[in-house]
Amino acid sequence: MDKIVGIPRSFLYYDHHILWETFLSELRIPYIVSPKTNEQIMRFGQQDSHDEMCLSLKNYLGHVHYLEDKCDYLLVPRVDNYGLYNQTCTNFLALYDIVHNVTNKPILNYNIDYCHGDTEWKGFLKMGLELGKKRAEIKDAYHHAKEKEKEYYDHLIGANYNALNNSKPRILIIAHNYVLYDEMIGLPITNMFQKMGATIIDANLFDQKVALRESRRISSGLYWDTSRKLVGAIPIVEHNIDGIVFLSSFPCGLDSLVNELVMRKIKKPYLNLVVDDISSLTGMETRIESFMDILNVKI
Amino acid sequence: MSKYKISFPHMADYYVPVRYLLSHLMEDAEIMVAPPITSKTIELGSKYSPDFLCTPFKYTLGTIIEALECGANVIVQAGGGCRYGYYSELQIEILKELGYDFTYLNLVSCGKTDIKKIYQMAKKLNPHFSVLKACYYGFITIKMVKYMDQIDHIIRENIGFEVKENSFIHLKQEMLEHFSQVKTYRELFSLYHQYKKKFLNLEIKKPKDYFKVGMIGELYTIMEPFANYQLEYELAKFGIAIKRYTNVQYLLFEKKHEIKKLLRQTSDYIKYKMGADASDNIARAKYFCTHHYDGIIHIKSSFCTPEIGAMPVISKVCSDYQVPVLFFSFDANTSEVGIRTRIEAFYDMLEMRREYEKSISRN
Amino acid sequence: MKKAYLGIDIGSISTKGVVIDSDYHLLASDYIWTEGDPVQAVRTLIDSLKEQLSDDIEIHGIGTTGSARKLIGLMLDANVVKNEITAHAVGTKAFYPDVRTILEIGGQDSKMILLNHGVVVDYAMNTLCAAGTGAFLSSQAKRLGVPIEEFGKLALTSKHPVKIAARCTVFAESDLIHKAQVGYPKEDIVAGLCRSIVLNYLNNVGKGKKIMGPVVFQGGVSKNIGVVKQFEEVLKEPIIVDPNSHLMGAIGIAILSSKQARDNIYPLEFKNITFETKGRECEHCSNHCEILNIYKNQKLIDTWGNKCPRGLQV
Repeated sequence: MDKIVGIPRSFLYYDHHILWETFLSELRIPYIVSPKTNEQIMRFGQQDSHDEMCLSLKNYLGHVHYLEDKCDYLLVPRVDNYGLYNQTCTNFLALYDIVHNVTNKPILNYNIDYCHGDTEWKGFLKMGLELGKKRAEIKDAYHHAKEKEKEYYDHLIGANYNALNNSKPRILIIAHNYVLYDEMIGLPITNMFQKMGATIIDANLFDQKVALRESRRISSGLYWDTSRKLVGAIPIVEHNIDGIVFLSSFPCGLDSLVNELVMRKIKKPYLNLVVDDISSLTGMETRIESFMDILNVKI
Repeated sequence: MSKYKISFPHMADYYVPVRYLLSHLMEDAEIMVAPPITSKTIELGSKYSPDFLCTPFKYTLGTIIEALECGANVIVQAGGGCRYGYYSELQIEILKELGYDFTYLNLVSCGKTDIKKIYQMAKKLNPHFSVLKACYYGFITIKMVKYMDQIDHIIRENIGFEVKENSFIHLKQEMLEHFSQVKTYRELFSLYHQYKKKFLNLEIKKPKDYFKVGMIGELYTIMEPFANYQLEYELAKFGIAIKRYTNVQYLLFEKKHEIKKLLRQTSDYIKYKMGADASDNIARAKYFCTHHYDGIIHIKSSFCTPEIGAMPVISKVCSDYQVPVLFFSFDANTSEVGIRTRIEAFYDMLEMRREYEKSISRN
Repeated sequence: MKKAYLGIDIGSISTKGVVIDSDYHLLASDYIWTEGDPVQAVRTLIDSLKEQLSDDIEIHGIGTTGSARKLIGLMLDANVVKNEITAHAVGTKAFYPDVRTILEIGGQDSKMILLNHGVVVDYAMNTLCAAGTGAFLSSQAKRLGVPIEEFGKLALTSKHPVKIAARCTVFAESDLIHKAQVGYPKEDIVAGLCRSIVLNYLNNVGKGKKIMGPVVFQGGVSKNIGVVKQFEEVLKEPIIVDPNSHLMGAIGIAILSSKQARDNIYPLEFKNITFETKGRECEHCSNHCEILNIYKNQKLIDTWGNKCPRGLQV
């Protein structure tokens, strides 16, 4: 019987799910992905987390809890940086050790630290070898997965650009992908916007290289990879959007600095939403409505 | 007289070496120590800071505003890792919004020091800037930090047992005054040894079975006494010897070499560097647990992400070794009464445990 | 003459006082509102306690605890002044020697104390805000138009408690209003509130603590059977609530004072003693310490609040 790998649907899942899923299927390793975040998962997360952790990390731990008795390994990577000016939130540095301390489940882990030579390929090779596969096999699977991932994102990025031609108001949403796509954090909010007739432009879906470069127009010293990619979307589409929404999960360390800085530098109307507890959605609705009113008057 | 008035944010007593270095390198400019941190500083800082930023941002912003109010026009900021490194950009924006006009010099960003940029800046501030001199005074400053930190170790271990009230604090003030006037390294070296002797000779009354408590936590809040409501001193007054490894000497010069060793020692709990000082603190916690310390106190500012990640692990270490641990999370409006109650209860707990252990060993 | 000991627990909302004998039996007790004036509250309290005592009682020790412990300790010349965490632990231990966990929810703050072999091994206090404390509960009861005395009983009748966000008072309040407007039955909202208080307490105060039985629940909120029931459901442990649960801090400090009693006798007569506090702001630096001078019979006996010696100058 093959061992089953459990993938928590949170954090890096939204960056790498195509890569992971293709890689594992190519190697014929069974895996299970936790379902979309739901009430039960959130409750698990609250139980297992520290009170001051950010909502996304709490949810992540909820997904880990859900998977505990359904798999043999948990896939928990550690990402330190993709280069000196491409660092990550400290939660990603600590993720392996945090999970390791809340569960006894064995962890399938790889480490990314480009500053010290730990590349993604090395990480996947290590993972593949641990799963008992041969080097050549792993290499093929990785390259295939990479290609598939690129195809997938190229398509999404194209669609995101095309959305700029859709009906007004067009709103650029700046939110980490694990906040934006989380069923209990970001999705209810994007749904509200769409119901009110807005076109959503996703700041996550732009050409990464371009976005990284463009981020320098807004902040010269910014060194967080995800924040740079998000911020870099602003100069790219600035002239084609009507408003900007900042969405973060409380109390995100990166956003507390970066979003505050960006808000002071942009000239578009903006709305800052910080999601803390799902039950306060009613309050959000009022704020979203009035923001839409402002945009509609301007158009 | 130069038109430059240079100032820098406060942290503990480290203004002494910083002032020393700047005043020797920028002879023409006026070096101004910002007004001491008071409740007004943090009030100012939090008024203009985003809500859920960690408190060091608020404190440094507060002292910078106070320094600018006193006429400073150049601000030197140390920067560093984690969120510290990115403080400056937002602080500049906030201060610009408030209408201040000044030059901001950030020494470290992304964990790297841009030597060329700093050199150009130094040349601008002082046309006579000499690299050779910078090296010499830089060396003295580094040594001064080291000596200060070493004296602080002695103070923390003994201040709780002083016979004459405030004798340690007064002697330290005197030492810092002498330190800031040294001209050569030899002078500093002999002063250090003189004062070390003096500190060791101060009269103390240390019982045989005194309590030992280890302090760990986020660097700014643990080092700046105002930010932690003088917790160290309050605790020492109960007759407790305090050990704390986090200081500037450690962070700047020792951490690089020590961290691998520390990670090895804690390999049963953690595998990687968990960001900022989280792994260091976990390793220290384990050290305290295995070296007969009676308790551990962990201090951090609210919303300090790396320490929040470390806390569950620290709890686990402490419960495995059955050493009590107390967590403090400080922000701009922590109630002092609550802190006091917690420290008192912590001391009572240590006492009760010891009595119980004694009663067990008697039977 | 019989030896007895007085213990007073002065909290921000209520002031509790007990007189116990050497075997820790309760001779007198009372519970009154502090109403922002601890000195006056204690005078009233002592008068009431004296009426309950027979003439052959001599007070040999006084202990004070609670947030105004220092002030009242000075006023009464107490022989023991201790924090409420220790007082609660000592009091509970005297009646339940095997207790492992003490849950305490009071007016303004909440605590959890863990013991092992009668020794405190860990404790925690609420750090975030007043959500889930007694004050919050009674203000919400008032908002819903339910008398606080019937709050618990009403909660017990609910079958489907409403989920209420309780992380923060502001959120909880707006959520509560919203739920009431939408038309949920009152008993379900009340029960939901009780549950949210329990979850908030366990999430905030009890985070990472291993709760083991026997569990004793005390503090003002322990009188609310709705909250007790929710604790039992969530913890899956029987919850012990002592009939004197609200007095446990006062009992504890009385016990501590009996252990450290010397031979002097306290007259319990304060009519002729004036006790005054005068607040002022120190102008010596921008700390602006709020300094409190304490006068007993017009004589300055103590000064608090100064961060440095400069604050001592009057």
